[in-house]
Amino acid sequence: MENMKSEYRVEMIGITKSFGVVSVLQGVNLKVKPGEIHALLGENGAGKSTLVKILSGVHQRDNGTVLLNGVEINPKNTHDGQVLGISVVYQELSLVNDLSVAENIYLHKLGASKFWMNWKQITKDAQELIDSLGFVIDAGAKVRDLSIVQKQVVEIAKALSEDTKVLILDEPTTVFDPNDAKKLFANLLRLKSEGMSIIYISHHLDEIFKIADTITVLKDGVDTGSMATKDITKDNVIKLMIGRDLDELYPTRDAREDLAPVFEVQNLFGSDGFVKDVSFSVHPGEVLGIAGLGGSGRTEMAKLIFGADKKKSGTLILNGKIIKTDSPFDAVKHEIGFVSEDRKEEGVFLPLSIRSNISITSFKPISSKLGFINNQKECENVRGLISKLNIKTPSSEVDVKNLSGGNQQKVALAKWLSIDSKLIIIDEPTRGVDVGAKIEIYNLINEVAKKGVGVIVISSDMPEIMGIADRILVMHKGSIFGELPKEKFTEENILRYSIGEELKE
Amino acid sequence: MNTSINKQANGLGGILKFVIKHNTIFIFLLLVIFSAFISDVFFTETNLSNLLKQVSGIGVVSIAMLIVILTGGIDLSVGSLVALLAVTFAILINVVILPVAILLTIVLGFALGSFSGYLVAYQKMAPFIATLALMTIARGLGFIYSKGSPVTFNSPGGSFMSDFANNSTLFVPNIAIVFFIIVALAAVMLKYNVFGRLVIAMGSNEEASRLSGIKVSKYKFLVYAISGSLAAVAAIITASRTNLGSPNMGFSWELDAIAAVVIGGASLNGGKGNAVNTLMGVLILGLIGNILNLLNVPSYPQQVVKGAIIILAVLFQKIESKK
Repeated sequence: MENMKSEYRVEMIGITKSFGVVSVLQGVNLKVKPGEIHALLGENGAGKSTLVKILSGVHQRDNGTVLLNGVEINPKNTHDGQVLGISVVYQELSLVNDLSVAENIYLHKLGASKFWMNWKQITKDAQELIDSLGFVIDAGAKVRDLSIVQKQVVEIAKALSEDTKVLILDEPTTVFDPNDAKKLFANLLRLKSEGMSIIYISHHLDEIFKIADTITVLKDGVDTGSMATKDITKDNVIKLMIGRDLDELYPTRDAREDLAPVFEVQNLFGSDGFVKDVSFSVHPGEVLGIAGLGGSGRTEMAKLIFGADKKKSGTLILNGKIIKTDSPFDAVKHEIGFVSEDRKEEGVFLPLSIRSNISITSFKPISSKLGFINNQKECENVRGLISKLNIKTPSSEVDVKNLSGGNQQKVALAKWLSIDSKLIIIDEPTRGVDVGAKIEIYNLINEVAKKGVGVIVISSDMPEIMGIADRILVMHKGSIFGELPKEKFTEENILRYSIGEELKE
Repeated sequence: MNTSINKQANGLGGILKFVIKHNTIFIFLLLVIFSAFISDVFFTETNLSNLLKQVSGIGVVSIAMLIVILTGGIDLSVGSLVALLAVTFAILINVVILPVAILLTIVLGFALGSFSGYLVAYQKMAPFIATLALMTIARGLGFIYSKGSPVTFNSPGGSFMSDFANNSTLFVPNIAIVFFIIVALAAVMLKYNVFGRLVIAMGSNEEASRLSGIKVSKYKFLVYAISGSLAAVAAIITASRTNLGSPNMGFSWELDAIAAVVIGGASLNGGKGNAVNTLMGVLILGLIGNILNLLNVPSYPQQVVKGAIIILAVLFQKIESKK
């Protein structure tokens, strides 16, 4: 082992990682200097999160080397990572709701240190830490009572409560308004000047060009090299990220707004009062996009339409007729389909075969009056959909749990193509899906829309929703805040509506 | 089909895999061979038909239990229902003609099962609690109606049923035939009927079922109602075999039934299990009791052995699921 100090704080060399048969990282390199903000970019599923999880100890690499200050490290879990000074602020919040802010920030010390905790001291330390970040949060407050932005700040404070050398931020600003984001950047620049290495994952190129020194782009599990931010343009980065022009990824269509709407919602209210006064229509051949931040009511609205949650009031009109959907059963009877964002819990039956999964919505045409299933008809139907959707499987009897995420998602979709749905609501169509399957799913959505089926796509993935939708409704706090026609699609416009601001003229 | 046989022939590992996959059948066969070696009496017609008669009632109840467990629920009331319905059947058979007595008993079973079904499906009560309540209610009612003592059959219909239950057709006891028919019906329903497929889907993911437009509550309700009806069938064959209905019948059958279903490889979380394997579970439990009886092992050690077998069977299935 050489004792010479490396120029880099973190060196990840030739990292590979597979989950089952899915190869996520195929020899990725990432080198971060002390006092550097290093942006990690790439599409969803490109392997960014996996890479940082290997660095922090959540996952273990299959092959490759990880050096910290020139010394090889093998963190087996996040605790190992923390001891080494590697802290992560995750996208999904990991706070304990019933504990106070201070308790959460110093949670990791509960098990480690002395028998008795000095809560007074801990609360004081936590308060100082938060104050130093420039946000106003009471360290004694219960996390439950904080806003989502405040929770994110607590996450960041938690990561900084240790002797952190490497700070990893995974999409930290999705919930921030521009003002809060500015504060965060000031903090990051301060930490950088103190010599901290910061790895910053984000989709917001504007942000990255503001604060990052270096950019590394991941594409399908391979890095496309690192560049100094000053030597590269946004367009170049986008090209590296998607590896092709946008047109290729997202098929085009002709929306027929001249025709009567397939589906209309008028003044929809949810029984819990969160979703308020939602009205819109979907035209034949159109893909209607629903954007908004997490928690803005998109999924809730979809579940109201589908009858999965209780409505207070509102009118639904399908092909000119008023319909009632008091339960998913009613919705399916009217040939409305719903693909949940939570594939494993709500979308598919993991322990059951592809055949059982697909047939679940479509027993009527393939069974007798007494409910006996015509095996031949069932197999024909299932096989037809497997080949149509290009579900990669040796047979229809394979359990869905053994399929990749993309193929599972196709099974979830196939269920609704098995009946001739008139309206399909797809919540996060490609979450956790690899790029190849993504394109297939986009083509499929396209094909379905062309047939005159109303398609509503909910997505947090900005490039995706801009690519696939003909029109975007943006939700904010349970209502539709704004509508964007295709020519006004920009990440900034969507974001502005998402946080309840008007567009800049 | 051919390819699967080829795979099995793929050396020792393949054979082992095959054995592990169909472990209940192999355990059953091993027990049969073991029993035949250990006792001369085992392979006599009297012993075998006694064995089958003994397991038939519990067997029917086990199928009921399987259907409920497939949805992710449980029905603790089946044993007590057998007692209450056996008493009911014995009272009825002495006052009305046989077909009416049978029909009324089954209708009552359906109604009692519907009661727990209603609590579980529409009042969202935990199945364990709802059926536990019905279990004590039914047991109590059985004692109340019978005034604590067995009600004997005392009518032409009664003697007809008694003859039917104690005779055989082609060496197979009639009540075992009833049991096998129910197993076959359940197997067909679970595999080839929409009802069965939905029951399994519900058990494997209830929310996904609901979001696929399935009336989950309706099927939950039905499953308990069917369980109650099958308990009535078990009550009728059990009472007929002994020529009486007793409030002590079916004691702890719910536990034997759960054991049989679990030995048959079903998951208590729902969504996994089938009727033929449950049949094997019933026969395995019956065989163990039978062979220990032939060896003159007293009943308390028998219980210890039964418990050990349940643990072994489930451990064995863990190996299978890890593959």
